[in-house]
Amino acid sequence: MPGACFHCGEPIGGGVPLLATIGTQSHPVCCIGCRAAVEWIDGLGLADYYRLREVTGERAAPADDYAEWDRPRLARRHVRELGADRAEATVLVEGMRCAACAWLIERALARRDGVHEATVSPLVQRVRIVFDPSRVRLPALLATLARLGYRPHPLEGDRIDALRTGERRAALKRLVVAGFGAMQAMMYAVALYAGAFDGIDPAVRAFLRWMGMLVATPVVLYAARPFFAGAVREWRARRLSMDTPVALAIGAIYTGSVVATVFGGAEVYFDSVCMFVFLLLLGRYVELRARQRAGEVADALVRLQPATAERCTEGACETIGVHELEPGQVVRVGAGATFPVDGVLRGARCRVDESLLTGESAACLREVGDEVVAGSVALDGPVEVEVRRVGPATVLSALARMVERAAAARPRIARLADAAAARFVVRVLAATGVVALTWAAIDPTRAFASAVAVLVISCPCAFALAAPSALTRAVGVLARRGVMVVDADALEAFAGVDRIVFDKTGTLTEPAIDVASLRVARGSREGALALAAALEQASTHPYARALRDAARGLALPAIADVRETGGGVLGRFDGHTLRLGRPDFALVDGDGDALVLADDAGEIARFPIVERVRAGAREAIDALQAAGVACEIVSGDHAERVQRVAVALGVAEWRARATPEAKLAHLASLRTRGDAVAAVGDGVNDAPALGGADVAITLGEGAALAQAASGIVLAGSDLGGIVDARGVARSMLAVVRRNLRWTFAYNLLAIPLAALGLVPPWLAAIGMSASSLVVVANTFAIGRTRAAARPAPPAAASVPLARVQAA
Amino acid sequence: MNIILALIPVSLVLLGVGVAAFFWAVDDAQYDDLDTPALAPLVDDDATRTDEPARR
Repeated sequence: MPGACFHCGEPIGGGVPLLATIGTQSHPVCCIGCRAAVEWIDGLGLADYYRLREVTGERAAPADDYAEWDRPRLARRHVRELGADRAEATVLVEGMRCAACAWLIERALARRDGVHEATVSPLVQRVRIVFDPSRVRLPALLATLARLGYRPHPLEGDRIDALRTGERRAALKRLVVAGFGAMQAMMYAVALYAGAFDGIDPAVRAFLRWMGMLVATPVVLYAARPFFAGAVREWRARRLSMDTPVALAIGAIYTGSVVATVFGGAEVYFDSVCMFVFLLLLGRYVELRARQRAGEVADALVRLQPATAERCTEGACETIGVHELEPGQVVRVGAGATFPVDGVLRGARCRVDESLLTGESAACLREVGDEVVAGSVALDGPVEVEVRRVGPATVLSALARMVERAAAARPRIARLADAAAARFVVRVLAATGVVALTWAAIDPTRAFASAVAVLVISCPCAFALAAPSALTRAVGVLARRGVMVVDADALEAFAGVDRIVFDKTGTLTEPAIDVASLRVARGSREGALALAAALEQASTHPYARALRDAARGLALPAIADVRETGGGVLGRFDGHTLRLGRPDFALVDGDGDALVLADDAGEIARFPIVERVRAGAREAIDALQAAGVACEIVSGDHAERVQRVAVALGVAEWRARATPEAKLAHLASLRTRGDAVAAVGDGVNDAPALGGADVAITLGEGAALAQAASGIVLAGSDLGGIVDARGVARSMLAVVRRNLRWTFAYNLLAIPLAALGLVPPWLAAIGMSASSLVVVANTFAIGRTRAAARPAPPAAASVPLARVQAA
Repeated sequence: MNIILALIPVSLVLLGVGVAAFFWAVDDAQYDDLDTPALAPLVDDDATRTDEPARR
C-alpha cells in the first residue's frame, strides 16, 4: 500500500502504481494530473518546490481552456495597458498556501517568454503579472497557473490592493519613526533624570531638552498624525471616542514640553509623548494587519458568478463575457456549469442545484419555461437559457446586497475598554484643568508642572492597551487552534452569546456512504466499493469524498478514461463502461435517491447516501449546552431530516424548511426577545442569516461569500472550535475587565499624589511604564486553560458516530 | 563633557540616515512579503537566470 501522493498528499489507492520521476528518484503520485504537474514542475527546473513547501499542494486540476479571456471586451476589464509592450493583470490565485507556492508561481511565470515581471503576494493570494501582450497573451499565463495546480481568477482592477498596500506601508513608517524617536528621547530623558539627582550644568540640560524636542517633533507631527486626524473627524461627527483624548494628551504634553524648553520650565516630557505614540501605533499596526488579512476574503465574491458565457445565435455558439449579454439572448450552459444569468429554461428540462440560494440539499427539476437563477448549477446539460436578468439585477446580486444590508444593520458593539478609556480621559482632562487652576491660585510657578504630571502619570496607555493587547492575544491563541477571528467585535460579542443557531447541511452533518445497507447486485461489496472509489478518485464533490472515505484501506483498481460529467462519473474498466452517479444517470430508467454504480449490463451496486453527523459535533453541542448556551437548528431541509439530526445531537429546538428570509426573521425575533445570538453556517445560502445574527460563524470549507459576512471562521470542519472560541472570548473579556479595574485603582492612587505635586518626574514615568507592563502581562492568562475550556476529542475519530438516515 | 555637544547631533544625523533608509526599504516593497525571500538562498539557481533586472 503506497502512502500519500508526492504532489498533493492525498492517499494513493492500490492498483497500478503511478510514479513521477524527478532526476533519478521516483515518487508515488495519486493520479495522472498530479504526475503531469510533478514532471512539468521538474521540467521547468523548479523541483526545489517540493523541498521548500510547508503544505502539500492542491490536487492538480486539468487545465481549462482560458481562451475566452483574450476577448477584447473581457480583456479590457482585466488587462491594463502600461505602455507599448507592457500590460498588467492582477490574478487571484486560489490554492496558494505557503511561501513555496509563491516562489513556484513567481518562477514559473517569470520563465515564460514575454513576461516582464511576476510579483506574488502570498498574504493576499495575488499575482501581479506585467507582460508583453504582443509576445504572450493572458490565457497562456492563466493556463500556466492552472498547470501548476492552482485556480487563477483574473481580477478587475487592483485599486483596493494599492490602497491597502499604501495604508500598510504608511502605518509601518509611522511606527518606526515613533519607535526610533522613543528610543532617542528616552536616552536624553535618562540623562535629564540623572541630572535631577546629581546636579547638571543648566547649559547641558537645555541642550538635552532641545535635542529631545528635535526628536519628538517628527514623532508628534508625523507619526501621531492619525490620532489628530481621527480627533478632527470625531469632533466633526460630534462623537467622542479614543482619538480625541489621545490627541489632546499628546498635544498638551508636547506643547507644554516645548514651552518648558523654550522658556525654561521645570520639566519636559518628550520621552513620555514618544513612548505613548509608539505604543499606541504598535497596537494599531497589529490590528491593521489582522483586519487586512481578513478583508481579502471578501474578494472571493468575484469567484461566485462566472465571467464568461456561451451565447448561441442561429445554432452557432461563441464564448463571450457575461456583461456583454442582453435580455432576450440565449446562452448555453454545460452540465456541471454555473448559470451566468437569471433566465428561462428552453429546449430541455434539467435538474438544478440551487443550494446556493435556497439551502436545499437535493437537486430540483426545472421544466422548460421555468426560471433558473444565476449562481445555481446545471446538473444535466447542456441546456439553453433565455436571458432575463444580468449583472446587478440577478437574484444572486440581490442576495449579496442583502448580506451587506444585514451586516450594516448590525448594531455597532461599543467596545467596553474604548468607552471606559474615553470617559476616563475626559475626567483626567477635567482633573488636569482643575489642578492647573488650583495651583495657579496657590503657586503659579508649579501649575503647569503639576498639570502635566497628572497627564503623564495617568497616561491612558494602560487603558488604551487594555483591550487591544487582550484582543491581539486572544486572536493569536485562537488562530493557533484553527479559529480565525475576522471581526474583533465578533469575538467580544461572542463572549456574551447565550443562544447559538446552527444550520444543518454541511455544518452539523456531512454526506457519507451507508456501507451497512449497501446493496450489491453483482460481485462483492468490497469490489463495488473499490470500483466506485477508483472512479471518484479525482473528484472534489462531497459524495466523492464520502466514497473515498468508505473505501479507505481497499486496493483500488486502475480505471481508464475517467470522465466527470454533470450527472456522475464515467470510466472504462475491464472492457466495460462504468457509470457512477444518480440512478437516472447510471441506469437507463433508474430512480431513487442513492448513488448507483452500473456497467453496460446494468446495476452493480447501490450506495445509499446518508447524512452523517460531523465528528465532534455532539461533543461541541454538549459542551455548549453544559455551559448554559441554548442550541437550536434552523435548516432549509425537510422536517424529518432536521428532526433526526436534532435528536442525534440532543438539540431540543429545531426548525425545518426555513428560507433565508425566514431565517433572518427568526434571528431578528430572537434578538428582539433579548437573546444574544450566534449563527453557525457553511454556505452562501446562510449568508443573510449569518449577517443578521450578533455573531456569525462559518466553517472554513464553506462558500466564500458567507465568510465575508461572518465574524469568526473555523478552519477545517472541527466544530470544537466554537467551544474554544467561547472560552477564549470569555477569558479575554475577564482580562480586559481585570485590566481596567487595575488601571483604575492605580490611577485613583497616583493622580491625587501627582495633583498634590508629590510625584517627581522619574516616578511618574516609572508608574506609567509599570502600569502598561502589568496590563500586557495580564493578557498572558488568556488561552492557558485549554483543558478546562474544551472536552477532550473522541478517542478514535474513525469510530462511526451516530448515523442519520437521509432518505 | 563637551564632547556630547558634538556626538549627540552626529547620532541624530545617523538616526536620520537610518529612517531614510527604512523609508526607502518600505517603498521598495521590502516589507510587503516577509516569507518568500527567506527561501531564495536555499535554491540552486542556474547562472543564466536574467529575470532580476526585469523585476525593478
